[in-house]
Amino acid sequence: MATAIPSIACIGVIGRNNNPLHTSIFPSYDPSTNSYRPVRTPLQFSLILSSTLDVFELRSRQNAAAGVGLTGDFGLLHAVDDRLAAYGFETNTGTRFVVIVDMRGRRIDGTVAAGLADGRDSKRIAGAAAGLREGEMRPVFKAMQTAYIRLMQNPFFEPDEHSPPAGHGGKKITSRKFAGDMRRIGENWMPGVTNL
Amino acid sequence: MASSKASRLGEDRRTRMDKVNAELVVLTYGTIVAQLCKDFDSDYVEVNKQLDKMGYNIGMRLIEDYLAKSNTVRRCSSFRETAEMIAKVGFKIFLNITPAITNWTSDGKQFSLVFDENPFADFVELPDDGRAQDELWYSNIMCGVLRGALEMVQMQVEAHFVSDVLRGNDTTEMRISLIRYIDDELPPEDD
Repeated sequence: MATAIPSIACIGVIGRNNNPLHTSIFPSYDPSTNSYRPVRTPLQFSLILSSTLDVFELRSRQNAAAGVGLTGDFGLLHAVDDRLAAYGFETNTGTRFVVIVDMRGRRIDGTVAAGLADGRDSKRIAGAAAGLREGEMRPVFKAMQTAYIRLMQNPFFEPDEHSPPAGHGGKKITSRKFAGDMRRIGENWMPGVTNL
Repeated sequence: MASSKASRLGEDRRTRMDKVNAELVVLTYGTIVAQLCKDFDSDYVEVNKQLDKMGYNIGMRLIEDYLAKSNTVRRCSSFRETAEMIAKVGFKIFLNITPAITNWTSDGKQFSLVFDENPFADFVELPDDGRAQDELWYSNIMCGVLRGALEMVQMQVEAHFVSDVLRGNDTTEMRISLIRYIDDELPPEDD
């Protein structure tokens, strides 16, 4: 018997002008073909990312009214269907990180799961099968923020090109290091991982 | 041994560091390089030259500070000893790194400094224009610093980078060659 656990299906970084800065898509396990492939097309992921923008705006307006949460974790933004759910994080400067989680994106072998159930990880796997706990995405956003900070520290990176302070639009991030960091985060995360 | 004494000397001085935040220095240097690239329209050969010149001016001043901080009381007896002092005291004091000294030529006039870490290049990714990777020596200012500093203590050297991890090489290596000891008695040559 195999158990499906959540994995990251897509990572999106959105600039303060609501412009897409970076998108990474990760394959999910498909039981019908026993292979890994993305559950949606790039366009569909892009639409899901766009649809989170309204939630961000709504939440930040609510937060501003309540005088809390200028920056940080926005938690679950919206559950797209019974498989996909979008989580969000906003920095002070208005850059937004969105992670779309596929609740059945990765498969672990039944024997592996059983073996883990005997050990210290039993809670972790049980929790993983049931869904995501509060704060489960924190290490992901932490790692994304670290990668973003490293990107900004690169003297050859021009923040203004990517999110012009006035107006709209902006170029995408082309840094290979940043793309590599996003890839690493997306591939290595699973419920219970505390350090990426 | 002279080598272990040099390490101790560097260690001693380091604990007496003044306050300036490392990220600030790294960002400042990065901004200078990026701005030079912009000002010279990505003429990286020219940028290297400018960095070397800036380093030369820094080195000429920095040597006094180095001599004071390292309590140097006598001249190095050989170029080998000079190399030790550069790597284990100089770099330790100012950057808190100790590059490895390797690849001596048999006449003892050329050596390489291999940097396993380079604080200047911490966050850097060279521009992806297909030329920077082949032409720009990001940390070229260091060559100038060594050239300037050594010239003030009667050594004419030539320093250049031969590889850089930023370019995708395995190591960051700087080659330093002693051209000659400048004689104190002679008046400076007219150029």
